Amino acid sequence: MTAECGYLAALAGFEAMTTARLGWLLADRSAQEAFEIASGAVAPPAPIAALFARSPELAARWSDDASRRDPDRCHEQCRAAGVAVVRAGDPTYPHQLLDDPRRPPALFVRGDLSVLDARRVGIVGTRNATQRGRETAAAFGHELSAAGVVVVSGLARGVDGAAHRGALAVEGSTPVAVVGCGPDRPYPAIHTELWGHVAQRGALISEWPPGTPPDAFRFPLRNRILAALVEVLVVVESRERGGSLITAREAAERGVDVFAVPGPLRSKSSVGTNMLLRDGAAPATDVGDIMLALGLDGRRAGRSRFDSRPRPVGVEVELLAICRVEPATVEQVVLRSGRALIEVAMGLARLERSGWLRESAGWFEAIEDWADLA
Amino acid sequence: MFASVPSAVLVGAEGRPVSVDVHVSRGLPGFTMVGLPDTSVRESRDRARAAVLSSRLAWPSTKITVNLAPSGQRKTGSGLDLAIAVAVLVADEQVAPEAVAGLAFVGELGLDGSLRSVPGVAPMVGALGDVDVVVPVESAVEAHVAAEGTVRLIGHLAELVAVLNDSMPWPDHDRTERVDTPPPVLPDLADVHGQPLARQVLELAAAGGHHTLFVGPPGAGKTMLASRLPGLLPPLSKRLALEATMVHSAAGIPLPSGGLIRQAPFRAPHHTISMPALVGGGSHGVRPGDVSLAHAGVLFLDEIAEFAPSVLDGLRQPLESGISIVDRSGSHAVLPAEFLLVAAMNPCPCGGGAPGDCVCGDAAIHRYARRLSGPLLDRFDLRVNVHRPDVDDLIDARPGEPSAVVAERVLAARSMALARQGGLNRSLKGHELDEFAAIDASARDVLRAEIERGRLSARGYHRIRRVARTIADLRVDDHVVAADVEMALHLRARVGGEARGRAA
Repeated sequence: MTAECGYLAALAGFEAMTTARLGWLLADRSAQEAFEIASGAVAPPAPIAALFARSPELAARWSDDASRRDPDRCHEQCRAAGVAVVRAGDPTYPHQLLDDPRRPPALFVRGDLSVLDARRVGIVGTRNATQRGRETAAAFGHELSAAGVVVVSGLARGVDGAAHRGALAVEGSTPVAVVGCGPDRPYPAIHTELWGHVAQRGALISEWPPGTPPDAFRFPLRNRILAALVEVLVVVESRERGGSLITAREAAERGVDVFAVPGPLRSKSSVGTNMLLRDGAAPATDVGDIMLALGLDGRRAGRSRFDSRPRPVGVEVELLAICRVEPATVEQVVLRSGRALIEVAMGLARLERSGWLRESAGWFEAIEDWADLA
Repeated sequence: MFASVPSAVLVGAEGRPVSVDVHVSRGLPGFTMVGLPDTSVRESRDRARAAVLSSRLAWPSTKITVNLAPSGQRKTGSGLDLAIAVAVLVADEQVAPEAVAGLAFVGELGLDGSLRSVPGVAPMVGALGDVDVVVPVESAVEAHVAAEGTVRLIGHLAELVAVLNDSMPWPDHDRTERVDTPPPVLPDLADVHGQPLARQVLELAAAGGHHTLFVGPPGAGKTMLASRLPGLLPPLSKRLALEATMVHSAAGIPLPSGGLIRQAPFRAPHHTISMPALVGGGSHGVRPGDVSLAHAGVLFLDEIAEFAPSVLDGLRQPLESGISIVDRSGSHAVLPAEFLLVAAMNPCPCGGGAPGDCVCGDAAIHRYARRLSGPLLDRFDLRVNVHRPDVDDLIDARPGEPSAVVAERVLAARSMALARQGGLNRSLKGHELDEFAAIDASARDVLRAEIERGRLSARGYHRIRRVARTIADLRVDDHVVAADVEMALHLRARVGGEARGRAA
């Protein structure tokens, strides 16, 4: 006897299966019945029949899919990956999604959904983040988690990953991730370990069954779930067009407060966030701003990390100050400090060795004490 | 009935003497040419015949045999036209054999009898040795550079025959200026505002002869910087100047008014260049490629990642040995190719920029960087990130030192290296480094720390020490100190993404 969840997983993985179509199929039926309707074994009821009439090939493709996606095997796949299937209406289904106009009919979850009962803040941003952006994300993730807030993000490269790392660095924290592919398919690959930690400590949520590849179109859809799950959304860095702006829009539509971290005007990674600020998002300059929006007292969530780096001395202080304004090249530091090239070069090298600066492609960025998590 | 006239052909950038032997005898009218002529030489017959007739002379209507000795060597080019025509006239007894004794002829004939210049007159004349050479008027400069005997300039075949037959004086076509005109003004380093690091790199490249790779986004001034490098190099030595001049002559590039090329040449081929165009070759004879035209100067490869990989691999032999060898079934040419390689590339396909500006995925960056093969990348002692200068910085920056000032330091540093090891710092090998570029304990500590952190490989170690040696040379100091090594460590950009801590 195949469990209900096997049918759900099989059905959700059909080609051209959308949230709406899955919703119609599952309307007041068991997943097994829905599967039989989709596969063509049972005559389709009214809305599905109309759908098949509109897209003539769909019936054939779905019946094809039904023969390929064996519910038993899908069930086994879920079990092997430790993925629980939650259907809208199940007691564990997140109540934040229940009233959502485009609620996912089924969720595929690794971890424990009850962590969503706590206060929730989303931290999102660009994948091509600057060192500073990643550090900000890590700092917010860490400090919010320390205050008992659940950090929700997307486990992508850049800001998302840093937010999760920051959150995980707090003992006992329960971060949540909403991902754009099957929950068993870590993407990007370098975040494989991070996926495991999030799934183990908090929850890893996806709208798609195990084995679903990370197609580009799935990420904007994932963003609406993320936006619906949080009380406050913080966009750390974003380009002029980016997934985080979609998340921000979805959040605004759902009445979720959107915060944006202000950035330098010339930085491409901050164009999107500065646009959000112009359009009325609240600026998030430190974690206290976000705590205030949640109605929490942020004063207790002070930083508790000890900075072990040797203090900069002499000319290093000046050079570090220049790099802190914005990332700078050797040449810019020379011109701005008015010092000799060799003096600047040696000073920057010392600062890099002692962990105050990070060099990439000739740019020196100041590292704050969250760098190891960024 | 028989005549023999000396001339020369071009193989690569070298002249080879050729004796044009003509036999005119009774028999069926005809013209046979032997001695491995290629098509351009074979066509000589029709040009020579028309030129002779246009000069109101007779073309023998008997059996003419032309042999180009040495007969076993393939000959190309139209420079034999004049010699063939003269030899035919002598063999046909229209010109006395005594009149051409001690004369050699190089030049192409027009159908109206006028003389035209050919590429490579300088090396060809040089190969002829101590004889008087008759060359077209336009080739005066090139002939003067290499001639050991007197250079006779002739504009028309009829003019030549008049001199030979009627004992007329040689016409005075010589318009070459005997004084050396000042060389053309090269782009000056004073135009470069800001960019202190890039300026330092140019100075190092010039002083140590280090091959240099600029990595930076479009608009960072990579081309502008590279074009200022020749102005920092010292004037060419007599030997190098002559070699460079020969190559330019062989490629048919007009020589400066003084004849000799005294300034380091600058070549910047486009990235669509073919292998023969870069290293020499071609379907008609062997034409010097850009590596040879950049001999004793600078070869600049902009967008080096866009060059075909096979073409870039062709650079490896010249970089290794300073010569370019072109082997064809009929010819074997050795061309000089000792150049300073300067290359420029973007950090990634999108061009990069400040942190966070790049939109490329890691895989795309990796693929882009992989277009440069490891062995080629190893050749670049200096690899620097250059950046688009800030407008503020540009306005604030004082104009930098002019090229002349920097060139003096470069000359001093080069002289030091030459006196010490008899060559440029770029060719220092492992044991020579220990002998000539010993580093003190504190410098050694800096390098050890880098190696221990996995950021410096064995190859990189030697590169850093070579560059540090040049930095010390520029300070006119025999000792390489820690500050030199620290500076050198700044001049090794990683190519290919942000792989943290990768050794370079």
